[in-house]
Formats: sequence, C-alpha cells, structure tokens
Amino acid sequence: MSSLEIRGIQKSFSSTQVLKGIDISIDSGDFLVLVGPSGCGKSTLLNMIAGLDSITAGDIVIDGDVVNEVRPSQRDIAMVFQSYALYPNMSVAKNISFGLEMRKVPKDERNQRVASVAQMLQIEPLLDRKPSQLSGGQRQRVAMGRALVRDPKIFLFDEPLSNLDAKLRVDMRTEIKKLHQRVGNTIVYVTHDQVEAMTLATKIAVMKDGELQQLGSPDEVYNNPNNLFVASFMGSPSMNLLESRIIQQDGAPVVPVSLKSGEEIFLPLPQSPAYRKYLNKPVIIGLRPEAITDPGSAEQESSLLYSSSCQIDMIEPTGAELYAIMELNKQEVVSRMRASCGVQSGQTAEVIFNMEYAVLFDPETELRIS
Amino acid sequence: MTDTLQANGVSSARFWRVALYTTLIVFAVFYLLPLYVMLTTSFKSLAEIRQGNMLALPADWTIEPWLQAWGKACVGLTCEGINSYFWNSIKMVVPAVVITTVLGALNGYVLTKWRFTGHKWVFALMLFGCFIPFQIVLIPMSQVLGKLGIAGDTAGLVLVHTAYGIGFSTLFFRNYYEAFPSELVKAAMIDGAGFFGIFWRILLPSSGPIIVVTVIWLFTNIWNDFLFGASFAAGEGAPMTVALNNLVNSSTGVKEYNVHMAAAIIAALPTLLVYIVAGRYFVRGLMAGSVKG
Repeated sequence: MSSLEIRGIQKSFSSTQVLKGIDISIDSGDFLVLVGPSGCGKSTLLNMIAGLDSITAGDIVIDGDVVNEVRPSQRDIAMVFQSYALYPNMSVAKNISFGLEMRKVPKDERNQRVASVAQMLQIEPLLDRKPSQLSGGQRQRVAMGRALVRDPKIFLFDEPLSNLDAKLRVDMRTEIKKLHQRVGNTIVYVTHDQVEAMTLATKIAVMKDGELQQLGSPDEVYNNPNNLFVASFMGSPSMNLLESRIIQQDGAPVVPVSLKSGEEIFLPLPQSPAYRKYLNKPVIIGLRPEAITDPGSAEQESSLLYSSSCQIDMIEPTGAELYAIMELNKQEVVSRMRASCGVQSGQTAEVIFNMEYAVLFDPETELRIS
Repeated sequence: MTDTLQANGVSSARFWRVALYTTLIVFAVFYLLPLYVMLTTSFKSLAEIRQGNMLALPADWTIEPWLQAWGKACVGLTCEGINSYFWNSIKMVVPAVVITTVLGALNGYVLTKWRFTGHKWVFALMLFGCFIPFQIVLIPMSQVLGKLGIAGDTAGLVLVHTAYGIGFSTLFFRNYYEAFPSELVKAAMIDGAGFFGIFWRILLPSSGPIIVVTVIWLFTNIWNDFLFGASFAAGEGAPMTVALNNLVNSSTGVKEYNVHMAAAIIAALPTLLVYIVAGRYFVRGLMAGSVKG
C-alpha cells in the first residue's frame, strides 16, 4: 500500500505534446480512475507510472521516492492490460507465477501463493490450461491473478474491461471493487467509460487533450463539475446545457427559458454572490436529466422546485426508468422520470425542475460560475 | 424438376473435378519423371543402362552403384566416394543455419520490441543485403577470408553463408514479431524479465512457425549453394555440391551413370528430409489466446 504523486508530468512525442503538465496526488489505498475520451493521454500517463514510457518532464513519486529512472520491474507495481497479455506458451499457473519466478521466489512459496490467488479468484480448475483454452472473462481473471500474486505497492489497470461483453463487464466491475475493498491496495485505473469511473473510483481524474480537467471524488466530479467538458463527459444521458442569461426577478436571480409553446418560464437560481457578476450576461445552464423529472420522483425537500407543464416530444423507456425528451430554448432536453409516471409522446405533462442541482458556466471560458 | 437440375449440377461438378485432377496428375507425373529415371537408373547395372531402355524398371536390382557413390567413386584424384564431402556439407550447413536463425531472431526482436533511433535504416540496409548477387562479393569475400585465415575452410563457408542469410532471417523474424503483441513484452518487463529473459521465455516459444520457415529456407539455400563452395573451399574441404560436380564432370574413364544418379540423390536427400520433418512442425495458431478475442 502506497501513496502516489504525479508532479507536473509532461510527455512529448517528437513535436506533439501529449501530456501538458499533470499534477495528481493520491493516498495509500485510494482507487484513482483516469477517465477521458480516446487520445486524452490517460494510457500514456499510466505507462509512465509503470515505467514503460519515458518522462519528458516532471516526477513520478511512489511512497515519497522519485522513480523516474527506476525500471518497471523495480517499481513494485503490477499491471493488468487491456488485451490481458497472457503468455500464450505458458499454463495459467505459469502465467501467474512468472513474475515470482523472475524475482527468484522459492518454488514452494510460489506454488502456495499461486494457489491462494487462484482460490481468491476462483480459477483453481483452470490452472493447468493454456490461455487459448479460456473464455474472455477467465482470461481477465488470470490477468488479475498475475497482478495480485505479486502483492505490489500499486496496481495499474489499463481499460481491463473493454474487451468483455456488457453483462460480464458489469460483473467484473463489481468484482474489482470487491477486490479493492478486500486487499485495500492503491489502484490506478484507466477507462473511457464514465460509468466505470463513477462506480469504482474513490478519486476521479477527468482528462482531455493532455490536460487534467478535474480531480475529485465521484460525487464532486458529478455534481460540481469544474467546467463544461467535465459536465458533459460525466453522466449518461449527459447533462443538458442550455444557453441563457441571468436576470433579476423580485430580487432573486432567475434564468429565462422558452418552452416549445413559445411561453417563457423563469427558473430560480440558488443565492450565490457569484451570480451577481453575471447579471444580464449570457451563461450556460447545466441541468442533469434527473433534475428535470415528473412530480412523483421530485425531491420534495428541495427548496428550489419549479413546476411547469411541457410538451413531451418522445419517450425512451429503459425498463427501470424512462427518458422523456422535450424542447427548451429550441434545444433537445432529456429528462429522467419514473417508468410508471404515465407520460406519453406528443402530450403535455407536468415537469418539475429541481434547480438546486443547476450549475452555471461562463460561455466564453467554459468554466463553472460559483 | 429441381431434382434433375440438382443432378445436373452434381454431375457437372464431378466432371470438372475429374478434369482438374487429371490435369494435376499429368503435371505431377511429368514433374516426377526425372526423379523416376534417376531412381531406376541408380539401381541398374552399367550393362543394363547401355541397352538404352531408360524408362524401364531395372531387370536386376542392385545397390552396388549406391555403395560406390558413397564409398568408392573417384572425386578428382581420390577414390573414396562422396561421404567425406557429405559430412563437409553437414558441418557447414548446421552451424550456419543455427547461427543465422538465432541472430535473425535476435535482430527481429530488437527491431520490433526494442526500437532505437534509426532502426528503420538498419532494417532497410539488411533488406538491401538480400538483393546483392553472390558474384559481386566473391573477390572481396575471398580477401576477407584470407585475412581471417579461414579461406578454403568450412569455417569460412559458415561465415559467408551466415553473412548472406542474416538479411533474410532478420526479414522473416522482424515481420513475424511485428505482429507479436507488444503488451506481452511490457507485461514481462513488469514481471521482471530482462532482455534475454523475454526473448527466451516469451518470444522464442511462440516462434515455432517462423523458425521452421527460416530453417527450411536457409537449409535449402546453403546446402544447394555451389558458387561459394566452389570458390572458397576447394579440394578436401569442398561441400557436397562441388564434389558431385567433380564426380559427374570427370572426363576420364567410363561414365558411370548409375553411380552419378545415386550420388545426385544422396546430395538432394537432406533438403528433402528437412521439408518432410520440419513441415510437420509447421503448427499454426500458436499465438491463439494470448490477446483479445
């Protein structure tokens, strides 16, 4: 168990800068998820932590020691690869014990450790098989076993679930989380799937174009996004972003929004000194789908509920809930409702806006106003 | 209606199948005819050969020509058969093939998994080496061998063939390892395996098919080489191909066709054997299961 610090890490491949100075610091036992669209540099950063990629500038610090020049095998890390990277010529048991063998662990101890890891991951019947005889999920387990058996300071996961089918992915996700709770090691996990990030992480680092957009707990990143990118990237369906402006009405700040019927409604905003500076100026208002809902699922204790009747253009039932699509400010807006709330496409329904969860952004800087 | 159509379809397919196989068999027989003549001639006595029935089977089977070719036939001035030259060839071909294959595998490994600046140029130059005609290097090569003191020696031939073969073996292995997942190498690095550890434990065990291809290619080329053998290893140290030439081209005495045929078959035997034995180990799908899918 160890802390990890990433200080001002930069990476350039010839003339293109892939990472533009990343600072992240996590404590021992943290589960850090690096998330972002493809090409944001998250995998490169992971490779640099592993020591597989050279560092252009900055420091990687594990347990207070700068490890920039330390070889991957000496960093006491283990990595699970996207493709699993199981050695095709070795049996499952050999695959798991290879790292121990290279570290000259005596044979008896090796066998013992392989057995205990196999038991933990429930792969004991597979130990004599070759990787080619395993299913995707089994390979995934073996790859995790290979990392676990070493009991390293830090685990690195590089999109480990992206090659599994949807059902298995959810199962393995739960198992990884259980595993983390049981062994409590520090984990760095790369994914492009924001649901994985939300469910697994104790800390999420959202990245884009080689820059860190936000570092925080899943709750912070979801509810208090730093900027427009984080707001739209995290969450599914993604946050509704409407262009509007702040005006004063009866001494309170509100944002006007036009309905499909042409009627204009004024959504209340929480009291915040920051909003005063934007009075009568354009802003972008962000509303999560669950903040626009049917009266039955609205949080009644919220102090900023606003009710209005809106025309529902289309509904998308998912079974557990229902996404109702409507038009605000001539823009498509998704709202999340109970499956049994009875709204129909083409009809009007009463919709509750929970403005407590509204977030505002500056349209020019794209930064959060708060 | 449909039944008759189907029957027509089946019978016309059968017609084409028969036509195809007939053509193939005719060509195969045509191709195998020289071998047949060689084999039958090698088991005939000289007297029978003189009667002129080239395609006929031997009336009296005799292995005397084979024994003569192996142990008694005159090559140049000595009359001890071709066996010593056969061993010369083995002594040349085995080290040359082993060294070239290992070096090619190492080169391929470095050129794909341990890339350095300019790796493309190095590979391009090695490729270029594959296209240099043998004749061009004869004189410079003889000078080099002379300076090293291994001219006219089997060791010299091993060096020449290694130098020539390395371009091809590097090409084979580089292209094979290019498709070898780099993540396996990274995983092994993290597991603590070093440069040679990764090579021996991870890459080589998965290289079966390409090793077989390289060995067949190199063995055939080196065993069958005549030019380098004739140029750099005269007399006692000559390889099989040169000895066979000397045996068949001797202008004194009677032309012992049966002995010549036997000697030629002996000379061709090892390459044939390599194809039959190594071909069996041409296992596909060794890589299945290492990565996704």
